[in-house]
Amino acid sequence: MNLYEFQSKRIFSENGIPIPRGRCVESAEEAAQVASEIQRSVVVKAQVLVGGRGLAGGVRFAENPEETGKVASQILGGMVKGQKTRIVLVEEKLEASSELYAGVTYDFRMKCPVIVASSRGGVDIETVAREHPQDIARITIDSLRGFSPYIGRELASEIRLKANVSFQYANVVAALWHIFKRYDAELVEANPLAIVGDRLVALDAKLSLDEKASFRQKDLMDRIEQIPIDRLEGFEIRRYRARQMGIPTYIEMEGNLGVVADGAGTGMLTLDLIADSAGKTGVYCEMGGETTMELMENALKAVLSVDRTRVVLVNLIGGLNRMDEMAKGITSYLTKNPTRIPIVVRMSGTMEEEGRRILREIEIHAYDDLYEAVQEAVHLSR
Amino acid sequence: MAVLIDSETRILVQGITGKIGSFQTQLMIEYGSNVVAGVTPGKGGQVFNGVPVFDSVHGAVKEDSPEVSISFVPGQYAADSAMEAIDAGLRLVVVVAEAVPLSDTVKMLQLARERQAFVLGPDTAGLISPGRSKLGVQPHLLFSEGPVGMISRSGALSYETAKTLKQHGIGQSTVIGLGGGPLWGFTCTDALRLFQQDEDTSAVVLLGEIGGHMEEDAAQYIGKEFSKPVVALIVGRTAPPGQKMGHAGAIVQQGKGTAQEKIAALRNAGALIARAPREIPDLLRKAGIKSGR
Repeated sequence: MNLYEFQSKRIFSENGIPIPRGRCVESAEEAAQVASEIQRSVVVKAQVLVGGRGLAGGVRFAENPEETGKVASQILGGMVKGQKTRIVLVEEKLEASSELYAGVTYDFRMKCPVIVASSRGGVDIETVAREHPQDIARITIDSLRGFSPYIGRELASEIRLKANVSFQYANVVAALWHIFKRYDAELVEANPLAIVGDRLVALDAKLSLDEKASFRQKDLMDRIEQIPIDRLEGFEIRRYRARQMGIPTYIEMEGNLGVVADGAGTGMLTLDLIADSAGKTGVYCEMGGETTMELMENALKAVLSVDRTRVVLVNLIGGLNRMDEMAKGITSYLTKNPTRIPIVVRMSGTMEEEGRRILREIEIHAYDDLYEAVQEAVHLSR
Repeated sequence: MAVLIDSETRILVQGITGKIGSFQTQLMIEYGSNVVAGVTPGKGGQVFNGVPVFDSVHGAVKEDSPEVSISFVPGQYAADSAMEAIDAGLRLVVVVAEAVPLSDTVKMLQLARERQAFVLGPDTAGLISPGRSKLGVQPHLLFSEGPVGMISRSGALSYETAKTLKQHGIGQSTVIGLGGGPLWGFTCTDALRLFQQDEDTSAVVLLGEIGGHMEEDAAQYIGKEFSKPVVALIVGRTAPPGQKMGHAGAIVQQGKGTAQEKIAALRNAGALIARAPREIPDLLRKAGIKSGR
């Protein structure tokens, strides 16, 4: 789960990482007001969760309050790489003599956290790694031993920072590590981390949280203002509702086939097989391995809430997941919400005989073979 | 013998009295798995399906000397329970929970490395050696005994493939579920190393998916050191990029971790590539595996 830049910066600031002066606003008038408070040139930044905002026109400069209002009104309400801009961050424009990088994330191959430092900031770190590997330093962290401040100093020295900024850099690294641990982040990065005069300032901040740890991050979750439901549109509303209903994965595509699966691997296989048979998936719900009858009902509700759904294909192959429960969920949904849209069910695995028997009562024949079920669903979707 | 477990292997179940733990333990016992003890803090002294329940892993180890464990403990406590088992000297822990925080997972895996223990998962269906033992949640009717070792990131995809193989009379030696990622204790390459040594395994089916680089790492090992035939299937060929496809590790990010890259790496390493489970029996026959019926 990614935080907006302004949310990440607030957390940076609370943890002692310097950020530019400024604040976020939702209207051109407020933007002009912030610019007049700052009393110098500003940067207006679209708050959207996509990379490469600058090149897409989401980051612009302004000399005075009037111009700031004008620029903000052009960005607000517009789209940046497919995302609607509802908030802009207005900040003082700072002149950087040099741009650095500092970040903490997981090294999935080494199975441990890693701190990454670079003397080349302001660009994607992956690009630096590819084009200038000599300008990147990495130190992996033993999770049982943890972090120690010398690691920040070591990194500063490895990327050849001068004495006047190397201690500040080490402090930023320590603060980033603290944020990474404290908030169960997957990624936290200051990029660019600019040298402005003789001090370091994080001009951009990225914080991505590990959703699997959200149970112990309630305070942070409450603090992060989510966009109110009444301001969501189309697909966003449907995805929000799917999440509220406990569906872990809800994805929309362009076709007319609704797909429900109870496993990630078999779900992806189903999508591949549909595409191979020249069918087109329109909405996909994956329920996870431990599925309840209620979740099955909700998944049907979610795929049928999309207008273009013409057929629903339910592919169930249970281990942890019990087919009798799934059959009860399907029966319960269809009894309460009769539909003319055909529901093709494939069922196999734990308690499958009982599941089939339950479905027969509402005259659904559950396929045993996945290919037959896919062929039938694709045929009906034409 | 099969890899990792056989019919004699002494099994501990952590979280044995919970809803899922109790149901799955019953299925494991019915299958013939040698479940010798269970742990649920606060319920020590009870007996469940003939299995004594202890408050702690140390207590269970003292009385019944289990060698391996399967944990049904929920995600927020799962890594702690696995570390308890590793600390008590168990050599293999299967972590079924889906939502284990990454910061807990890296700690658990670090301890496993130091103690030279194996962790399977998190978010795994576990493992099954058909006809011998099951340390997992697989619907065992779909599996059958035979010469094919199977490795899968997805539990459900291993069920699907085993079911197809069974219809063609091809059974499995051991089926290893690695888990949903993006952090795995036991990796694809670890599994291949065991199958390389296993006399009961004559070929391997590798079931991968988009995201990460585990299949690419496995391809390197296959090209250099693995001497048995490999049939590989990578799912997620048509998944939209940038989306987590149900597993935390199944995501194409910045053009990386695509099915196409993985398929190319495996093909270059000499693996036979299937586009769907039903193509696998023929490819196995081509690789010299005989079907039983």
